[in-house]
Amino acid sequence: MIYFDNAATTRPDGAAFDKAAQYTRENFFNPSASYGGGFLVHGALEEARSALLSHVADPAKFALYFTSGGTEADNHAVLCGARRGNAVASAGEHAAVERAFNELKNRGVEPRFAPLNRDGSVDTDRLLSLVDGQTSLVSVMHVNNETGAVNDVAAIARAVKKKNPRTLFMSDGVQAYGKLAFRLTDEIDLYTVSAHKIGGLKGTGALIKRKSLALPPFVHGGGQEGGMRSGTENIFGILDFRYAAEKKFASLGADGVRLAEYKKRLASALSARYTVLSSEGSPYILTVSLEGGRGEVLQRMLWDRGVVVGTGSACSSKHRHSRVIAACGYGEKILDGVLRISFSAETTEEEIGRAAVALDEVAREFTDKV
Amino acid sequence: MEKVIIIRYAEIHLKGKNRGYFERVFAVNLEKSLKGMRHELHRMSGRWLVEKFDQAQAEEIETRISRVFGVHSYSLGYLVGSELDEIYAGVRLVAPREGTFKVETHRGYKRYPMTSPEISAAIGGRLIHDFPALRVDVHTPQNTVYIDVRENGAALVFGSFESGAGGMPVGTAGRGLLLISGGIDSPVAGYMMAKRGMTVELLHFHSYPYTNEGAKEKVITLARILSKYSLTARITTVKMTEIQESIHKHCAEELNVTLLRRFMFRVAERIARARKAQCLVTGESLGQVASQTMEGLASSNAVVTLPVLRPLIGFDKEEIITLAKKIGTFETSILPYEDCCTVFLPEFPAIKPKLDYIEREESKLDVETLVNNALSTAEIIDL
Repeated sequence: MIYFDNAATTRPDGAAFDKAAQYTRENFFNPSASYGGGFLVHGALEEARSALLSHVADPAKFALYFTSGGTEADNHAVLCGARRGNAVASAGEHAAVERAFNELKNRGVEPRFAPLNRDGSVDTDRLLSLVDGQTSLVSVMHVNNETGAVNDVAAIARAVKKKNPRTLFMSDGVQAYGKLAFRLTDEIDLYTVSAHKIGGLKGTGALIKRKSLALPPFVHGGGQEGGMRSGTENIFGILDFRYAAEKKFASLGADGVRLAEYKKRLASALSARYTVLSSEGSPYILTVSLEGGRGEVLQRMLWDRGVVVGTGSACSSKHRHSRVIAACGYGEKILDGVLRISFSAETTEEEIGRAAVALDEVAREFTDKV
Repeated sequence: MEKVIIIRYAEIHLKGKNRGYFERVFAVNLEKSLKGMRHELHRMSGRWLVEKFDQAQAEEIETRISRVFGVHSYSLGYLVGSELDEIYAGVRLVAPREGTFKVETHRGYKRYPMTSPEISAAIGGRLIHDFPALRVDVHTPQNTVYIDVRENGAALVFGSFESGAGGMPVGTAGRGLLLISGGIDSPVAGYMMAKRGMTVELLHFHSYPYTNEGAKEKVITLARILSKYSLTARITTVKMTEIQESIHKHCAEELNVTLLRRFMFRVAERIARARKAQCLVTGESLGQVASQTMEGLASSNAVVTLPVLRPLIGFDKEEIITLAKKIGTFETSILPYEDCCTVFLPEFPAIKPKLDYIEREESKLDVETLVNNALSTAEIIDL
């Protein structure tokens, strides 16, 4: 099987899994317990926290809180960060942010959405024009999960702060963390990450917060995570996240260069039959469309050939098209046939070649039959 | 004191000399519905009695019995000793506390020292004494307490009737093949036929990869709910992909659905004959969608010789939904799924296609080969 749906989830890293499993079996104590075993596990938890944070931020300036995943971290940031006035997000945000923004309406905060450029990045000028004196939060995702477009979040955050220094800036970093080289800058207040997009496990993520920012908790209870996120920590998932991330960050630069080359090669091989929607951007995501095709049908035809990809469209008559790709300005024929091909550090050159053949075959077959 | 369930049947008593047969099938169906639960089923003077079950499972047993066609009503009661004190102890558990009532006694054991009216009077008297808010009304009582004195020093008491599913025992009225989609209507159509005693076989069409596995899973879930009533054990699935592609490629777009229906009927008839089914059953309702006009229905009927039963033909959507909710398929039916990919949906389907036009378009296809190819994809899934 060629697994090219890594933006949805990745195959768990076996070594990280085993190491975390062994630790968890041997040290099952509650990290909040005040006897020896508890302190031991607490120590491992703090080491993991520090390691995961240090990959992208200065631990002196930022703190990391574990959550049940990217969605919870995004909801925490949005619903606790936007407390008044209005809040501005890019139209490309993941549903975890977009839906939370829509929920803001019920809480007396006006959500505003900034349009996208053709590649799925946010139109920065239009975004800034929506920011005013009443804006309490701006959210711009780091890497778009559907097109791979990279937003220059450091620059956008700086510009937002220049316009309104009191506005909080958050960025959903789920598709960037462990894949893109960057450091959090002082203007970024909140940043969210997820374990299972980089070889970790589903159910583990984190919210990174600028230390000097006071943010209320989202999940209340026993006061774990410094009171920011109650609930006994998922030690297995967290340690696994730590080990998986270590591996990814160790080869991040080289992986990026190699995958950029693969992406280019696959894009060019597919360009005969498909429209390439994301030639630039993250080397991990290639989005294409078979005009007049049906993403979901092509996806199943590929599955039957042992190639697994994502899609941006469904066969159904309701909610047929991707909200995000539509916001990039594409018409119905393109929207119908979107496929998202997403790589991981384990992707090989040979897989690229075989996937190109299968993608070409299914396009031909679909066009032939339909 | 043991909890028991008394079951009365619906129309079986009308069946004259065939009554024995209907009763036997009914008993078998009751046993099937109670499979896996400890119980004993006994017949007694035109009724059935479920006893010796785990008291904690009483509610589940009632639920299952309520779904068996042929059950007119059932009552939860108690099996007690036949001493008057013992009978009264049971009566206290089922009797009303206020309002009007009467006691009706049936005395199967004729050597019992009291007559039926004497037992009724004695028990009624005790009730009035213990519950002053009760009044006797032998003509139009709000409640009736029933006592059934049996042989071997036992008696049955019960106080209320629950309506059963009605209808005739499944298996007494032939065999039909239901075309089941993932929608609201077809499971209800299957329910209606099973209610009249039909054994319902199921056939589902899919067109993978244009439809997904989710749609199939959904149909299996629906079939399982339906099978609680119809006692159906399996579902046949057939892949219509090649047929849909061929129609789409070669025939007038506006006839896509009309032609597909004709192929479905052809395939269904072959499956029906193989399953020894005597008719096709569909959930069609006149005028509900473009393919369910009289012309559409007629064009489907034209390709088969088996009768096609459409028990919902005169139902409004609302009426069908009410039934779907009652039988418990509605929640599943409205889950999002597609039974047809949008690529095959004509923008303007023909509403009143003429048969000669349909046949002309269809003649562009190798009908026999397509039907045979589709039949070769048939799979049977046990429910």
